[in-house]
Amino acid sequence: MTTAASVVERLRERIGVAAPATQSTVEAGHLKRFAEAIGDTNPRWLEEAPPTFLVALSPAAYHLEEAEEYGKGWLNGGNRFEYFEPVRVGDRVTATGRVADVYEKTGSSGNLLFIIFETEYLNQHGRTVARLRGTAIRR
Amino acid sequence: MKPTVGQEVPELVKHPTTRQLVQYAGAQGDFYEIHYDQAYAKSVGLPGVILHGLLKAAFLGQLVTDWLGDRGTLKAFEVSYRGVDQPGRPYRCRGQVKKVAGDQVEIEVWGEDSEGNRTTLGTATVEMNG
Repeated sequence: MTTAASVVERLRERIGVAAPATQSTVEAGHLKRFAEAIGDTNPRWLEEAPPTFLVALSPAAYHLEEAEEYGKGWLNGGNRFEYFEPVRVGDRVTATGRVADVYEKTGSSGNLLFIIFETEYLNQHGRTVARLRGTAIRR
Repeated sequence: MKPTVGQEVPELVKHPTTRQLVQYAGAQGDFYEIHYDQAYAKSVGLPGVILHGLLKAAFLGQLVTDWLGDRGTLKAFEVSYRGVDQPGRPYRCRGQVKKVAGDQVEIEVWGEDSEGNRTTLGTATVEMNG
């Protein structure tokens, strides 16, 4: 338990600290592969990003090594997207992620560690195109 | 035609395969082994490889965008994963209009496994064209 408690404490120190921003260009080939992978044949997605595509540009939860000392595996608890502008082929998107919260909960099958990530996506014009909130769970 | 409260969204049934999970892992860049390595998945207490939560979110996103078409814009989309789903079983996406306030429409969406359990719950907020 002392180890788990110290992992939680160390992770809590990360709350509010932004990870280095990642920049990527929305490529036609990537959009096409993504739409094929989700099985959505709408031709609209050859030009425009479908609702969940942004997670393919930058991970919903950036890697936190120390979290892996807790429990034995990751689960995705949920995702929340907010959209402000469409994202299209050729857009240069900058994603900045941060840890919004870290807490422990006792579930029916033991303790769980919750890490809430928030990512903001900006386009080449400096406008926010979307925000994503993700709940990563270690169990 | 404007959506009305209680209106059902035409369902979308997906048939995910292990191959699709690998395809999705590559397209998203999520190479966590629980989505393609059976032995690894079992070693962390899962029944076998499972669908990416975000793949299920993408299915529910398609449910909404197929229904919405060019009648409006998706403003917010939230999903909560309540259970694991395995490939080789149909995944049924469903939805119902919950709230209509002017041009803002809220749709409750959910994904059902082959036994009818709602393993993914969500909400989509759309703005209809005026």
